[in-house]
Amino acid sequence: MNSIKRRRWLAALCLLPFAVFFIIFQIAPLAWVAIHSLQAESGWGLANFSKVFSSKFYRQAIQHSLEISFWSSVFGLLIAILGSYSLRKVDSRLRDFVNAFANMTSNFSGVPLAFAFIILLGFNGALTLLLKQAGIIEDFNLYSKTGLIILYTYFQIPLGVLLLYPAFDALREDWRESAELLGANTWQYWRLIGLPVLTPALLGTFVILLANALGAYATVYALTTGNFNVLPIRIAALVAGDISLDPNLASALAIILVGLMTLVTIVHQWLLKRSYHVAR
Amino acid sequence: MSRAEPGTSRLYHRLMVYLLFIILLLPLAGTLLYSLATSWSASLLPSGLTFKWYLALWSDPRFLAAFGQSLLVCVGALLLSVLLILPLLFVVHYHFPRLDALMNILILLPFAVPPVVSSVGLLQLYGSGPMAMVGTPWILIGCYFTVALPFMYRAITNNLQAINLRDLMDAAQLLGASTFQAAFLVVLPNLRKGLLVALLLSFSFLFGEFVFANLLVGTRYETLQVYLNNMRNSSGHFNSALVISYFFFVLVLTWAANRLNKDKS
Amino acid sequence: MSFVSVQNLQKSYGASPVFNDINCEIQRGEFVTLLGPSGCGKSTLLRCIAGLTAVDSGKILLDGHDLVPLSPQKRGIGMVFQSYALFPNMTVEQNVAFGLRMQKVNADDSRSRVREVLQLVELQDFASRYPHQLSGGQCQRVALARSLVTRPRLLLLDEPLSALDARIRKHLREQIRQIQRELGLTTIFVTHDQEEALTLSDRIFLMNQGRIVQSGDAETLYTAPVDVFAAGFIGNYNLLDAQSASRLLQRPVSSRLAIRPEAIALSLNGELEGLVRSHSLLGNVIRYRVEARGVELLVDVLNRSPADLHPDGQRVSLSIDPTALCEVA
Repeated sequence: MNSIKRRRWLAALCLLPFAVFFIIFQIAPLAWVAIHSLQAESGWGLANFSKVFSSKFYRQAIQHSLEISFWSSVFGLLIAILGSYSLRKVDSRLRDFVNAFANMTSNFSGVPLAFAFIILLGFNGALTLLLKQAGIIEDFNLYSKTGLIILYTYFQIPLGVLLLYPAFDALREDWRESAELLGANTWQYWRLIGLPVLTPALLGTFVILLANALGAYATVYALTTGNFNVLPIRIAALVAGDISLDPNLASALAIILVGLMTLVTIVHQWLLKRSYHVAR
Repeated sequence: MSRAEPGTSRLYHRLMVYLLFIILLLPLAGTLLYSLATSWSASLLPSGLTFKWYLALWSDPRFLAAFGQSLLVCVGALLLSVLLILPLLFVVHYHFPRLDALMNILILLPFAVPPVVSSVGLLQLYGSGPMAMVGTPWILIGCYFTVALPFMYRAITNNLQAINLRDLMDAAQLLGASTFQAAFLVVLPNLRKGLLVALLLSFSFLFGEFVFANLLVGTRYETLQVYLNNMRNSSGHFNSALVISYFFFVLVLTWAANRLNKDKS
Repeated sequence: MSFVSVQNLQKSYGASPVFNDINCEIQRGEFVTLLGPSGCGKSTLLRCIAGLTAVDSGKILLDGHDLVPLSPQKRGIGMVFQSYALFPNMTVEQNVAFGLRMQKVNADDSRSRVREVLQLVELQDFASRYPHQLSGGQCQRVALARSLVTRPRLLLLDEPLSALDARIRKHLREQIRQIQRELGLTTIFVTHDQEEALTLSDRIFLMNQGRIVQSGDAETLYTAPVDVFAAGFIGNYNLLDAQSASRLLQRPVSSRLAIRPEAIALSLNGELEGLVRSHSLLGNVIRYRVEARGVELLVDVLNRSPADLHPDGQRVSLSIDPTALCEVA
């Protein structure tokens, strides 16, 4: 072997430690989950999956997960769109400050966030009392689906802003000027040109937000001490809870979770293909 | 570049940005206030201000232990990441550039597969037997490596592409340097800034990780987040002080990363 | 009365003025060029006329009505941008029809008008293509069609050819001029390229640092520059200070002198002695650097035959056309 070939083999050897660790900690668990989702007491088959789908309890978990993820992503996206669009139009000092602040608050998720919301919006929270006094709300339960949607929306916003802010780069100012000279008002511009051009970026961000919410565990666990029925909680309860442990069933649920996320990604890619001419 | 915005639309944009800021600030502000309050229950404002919660927190040995353990695990994971990822990136970019496409797909896995899902497999595979790691910090370090992987890979890749690795290496080698010398003396110094920023951001992300820490290790090696969750039944003021301390720590890290990033460009 | 009248226009960005008290008049059907170096304010003036940039004070009259209080949508002005600004999510046909759609023209009329204008720019076969499928020149023609189909009263072109390569630029500018003549459309064209200005315009406004330095037709601007800047910007004038001019012409000269390179003839026997220092072949013209009486001059000679080639170091004599001498401030 000449020296160049030897060098390449040595180089390939350098890849080995990485591969080992990656397999141990990422690939192997995933493979275990995939395989064991198909293993029940009766042997190989889809027994676990049919158990999941025939159980009202688990179906509710899936439904809750989808609902919370969907609505928090929609609201989060809306706020992020309006926020990052305006962020581009203000002076640079304000813009840099709020941008940096949004980046930093993206770290404020999980357990600390849950606690902060309990303080503000719990049964005796300051904001709850304020809103009750102002007569805006009667009874607010943070630990319900609605409360969770609000909580999830909160941590979706910084991510949305982060992803959408550069997306507006795609909108050229001279399109807007052209449209104005041709008689379009602001609303017409957005409806006919601005939003269509932004659609791939908006869809992509929505999908990422959806996946982010579907897989979230820490926030809902900390808020409800594992008592709210969503997929991640159910999965964790079956492998690390106090009651019956059933890792195979957990695997099935896990595969369903990953499946949902994959499905969402596929739909997104398909939608993108249909509007490919909009992208560069 | 952007034309002058007429008065009303400028006002609108400022308003939206301030609104965004307030929405993001509210939970933080509330927690901060709560951590400084003597007592605050069922009323609009706290009854008094004090630092006693912070004092109690920072003198609590369990807190300090958790803080230290979090630090250890995160630093350990990042060290491991650097040791594994730098040679990987180097080899991929110099010898096997076509592998980059494959790598880009691989690093999607930690994003696409939620930690809960991986935990199912991890608990079964490494809970007992020859590779029993569950309950020790080692499994955390390994998992955190996979969590940091996407951030670090992307950041350093962008950096490598910007400095044009091949040309630098070839030039150095023509001037007589061995591969190792070229890598250490020429390439690495150019990666410093990007690497540092990636490390700081990964660190802040890892420091806030809860899922792996709780499911795989729990109280047997209590990290800060697990400690926070375990303290849920103690005073809310104490918890707030804890949250604010954690957040302040992360704030300093991300602010440093931001400043470094600005310096780069 | 002029069709377009800009009166006492002022514009500054913060503390720095862009232009101060600009006045100009444009007749109906005229093709006028705003010519000048980058930063002279020509694009800003154009954008003020279009309403895309606000003015500080002054009036812009179009057919007697002041445009300044009107929004861009209501001005009835068409504009072609340097970057084409075609809407990427619409086909060529949809792009061109956009203005008609805003005017609520019905579908049938719209379709026939779009077809008509696409034929005018020779792109009728490209109606269902998207902008990313077109070349730069085709994009610019679509942009032109889009601004013409709404039958604007005034057409503005902001360096429309700068992003295109030389071959297409020449072809497209002739096409633009031809269409403009056919339609009798009042047009303001902005460019920094003097060749474009000289070949296309009925009149040129030469601008520098926010002022209109000189206005007139191509011939006047080229042969009679009014000051040093004008002489330096248009053509390749030899600019001589009074002292060197006196030395060269052997008579007292009071102000600076500008002499066009082609106004100096080279021969082998004549009164004014000179020495060829260097030359460059520009294709159909040979540009010589000749030193005569201590003054260095650029001399352009048409590359007709080998007799016009003079090697470096050769002694030649010059004769300068006295009518071509231009006194500049």
